[in-house]
Amino acid sequence: MTRRQFIPLAGIAATAGYASLKLQKPPKLPDGPPGNSPVAILRAGSYSEDLVSRMMEGARLCGLDARGKRVLLKPNLVEFSSSTVINTDASVTAAAVELFHRLGAAEVRIGEGPGHRRDTLDLADDAHYRAIVPKFESIFTDLNRDDVSPVRGFANEPEFYFPNTVLGADLIVSLAKMKTHHWAGVTLAMKNFFGLVPGSVYGWPKNKLHYIGIPESVCELNRVFRNTFAIVDGVVGMEGNGPIQGTPRSAGVLVMGRDLVAVDSTCCRIMGIDPEKVNYLGLAAKLGHVHAERIEQRGETVASVRTNFALIDEFSDLRLV
Amino acid sequence: MGELYLEERLDFLNRSQNADGGWGYFPGKQSWFEPTAYAMLALNGAPDSERSLDNAWKLLRSWQTPDGSWRPNGRVQGGTWVTAQAVTLACVRGVDDPSVRASVDWLLRVVGAEHSLGMRAASRLHLLKTKLDVSHQGWPWRDGNAAWIEPTSHTLVALKKVAGNYRRAEMNYRIREGEGLLFSRRCSDGGWNCGNPNVLNFDLPSYPETTALALLGLQGRSAQELASPLALARRLRGETRSPLAKAWLAIALRCHGENIEMPAATPVSNDVMLTALEALGHPLGNFGLLRTTGVHA
Repeated sequence: MTRRQFIPLAGIAATAGYASLKLQKPPKLPDGPPGNSPVAILRAGSYSEDLVSRMMEGARLCGLDARGKRVLLKPNLVEFSSSTVINTDASVTAAAVELFHRLGAAEVRIGEGPGHRRDTLDLADDAHYRAIVPKFESIFTDLNRDDVSPVRGFANEPEFYFPNTVLGADLIVSLAKMKTHHWAGVTLAMKNFFGLVPGSVYGWPKNKLHYIGIPESVCELNRVFRNTFAIVDGVVGMEGNGPIQGTPRSAGVLVMGRDLVAVDSTCCRIMGIDPEKVNYLGLAAKLGHVHAERIEQRGETVASVRTNFALIDEFSDLRLV
Repeated sequence: MGELYLEERLDFLNRSQNADGGWGYFPGKQSWFEPTAYAMLALNGAPDSERSLDNAWKLLRSWQTPDGSWRPNGRVQGGTWVTAQAVTLACVRGVDDPSVRASVDWLLRVVGAEHSLGMRAASRLHLLKTKLDVSHQGWPWRDGNAAWIEPTSHTLVALKKVAGNYRRAEMNYRIREGEGLLFSRRCSDGGWNCGNPNVLNFDLPSYPETTALALLGLQGRSAQELASPLALARRLRGETRSPLAKAWLAIALRCHGENIEMPAATPVSNDVMLTALEALGHPLGNFGLLRTTGVHA
């Protein structure tokens, strides 16, 4: 019996953040919802390129309509470290602000609720958001400390609380970073929604989500919030021991789409990871498309931009053959 | 200049109190327990503040639940870690009634879930991905979850402040256990992060604000035990750019008797919690309300 097989048999409650005991993946994934999902892959070799034009092209390829909508951009701001690639690059967020204004959004806001650090605004400042994103402070909401309202039916909880800025948005855009993750395997557009959960209610870290289960929480967040879009910053991602202590890895892409399951599955394939072996994507297969044949790849092909990200030993079995 | 720094912050707090008596994290927003607690501590004893503090306390008391815990916000059901802050506030206000004792009982009852029998067994069998000592009993953000540095530190401050009123062996035991948890989760650099010093054999760095909070929780421990983290706290205060971290470090260092320099003159932030903590950490501020002594085994 392997160590991993022993864990569920022993009936030990998994405590991600402390234990995060990895479960076996289901043998076969469901087909997902009807139809196919378009996902656009755009080349972007550096942050100094014209990212707005790339995103405009991606929006066109995905048929994105943001006219008149209140848009909430949700970047991935995790840790103070301006010298590495933990956070969604400020240039990507600034370009996304411009993109949605050009697409006719009624309002564009930025919101984030980091999981560990409490000084959200200073974290954003350290990541150069104040310097690069026009009028940043006036459009930014610390989701950890926003007003909240209850939502029923999240993970079988009688009430679960979310920031009013999130609940009031017509479109939530996951501005994720392409990274490996030492608990979940990868962190991409779907897991980025952990930052929608308010620390003022659930703490730093949002330990309640760990007890629900990381894969289960990722899926619940994406089940509850369906009016979403993703732009994944893979210009420079993170490989190895992500999401904080990994090393930079240039994939030179932006990945965009309305189906976040399909976006994450595409990102996995670009990273040389088999999405069907990633636990949360296995659970999410009823929400969107994991299977490659159900994803309409637009822009670049996966093969043309594939960049194998280094994996820690714990996740070496995720490698796409 | 020094007094103006404090006066500006107290004035901001006075002006940003909500009609219901509480404070939001930002002016005009929903009242929350946490910023209200810090604002109350900062304004404690300020001229003409008695009525506003009474109103705030009345609001917070309406958030206590039947099990003795306190809710973080009027719209949120279920008590959380803010129960520790409620006990601290009650002590500061000289309140020691059955409802406060119910809160203390709740704190003594709640234990981080990683201390469960199953998790301790998993730890002994080396099945955890983290090098974590789960033998100590700390406090979670919410009952049923694992213990973390910040709620454990706040609870230690609260219990140490009221320990003299209780003289219960259980109280001293939980304080020792909580301190043990803090010591066991120090990062390799000598400070504390949220509570995970090592993941998958990689050491994680400490955070300045959490290091400050842990030092508050460890008041009363020997100078020898705290020499290294205090030295780190001094260094972090000079290095960090985070105003929140600077404020917590000032409070912690002053509570440990350090005579640190005046804060730099900065504009008053729109962030109520930050402003209250900056006021608390001022040399003339109320940081002493978070000062505690140790307990003796």
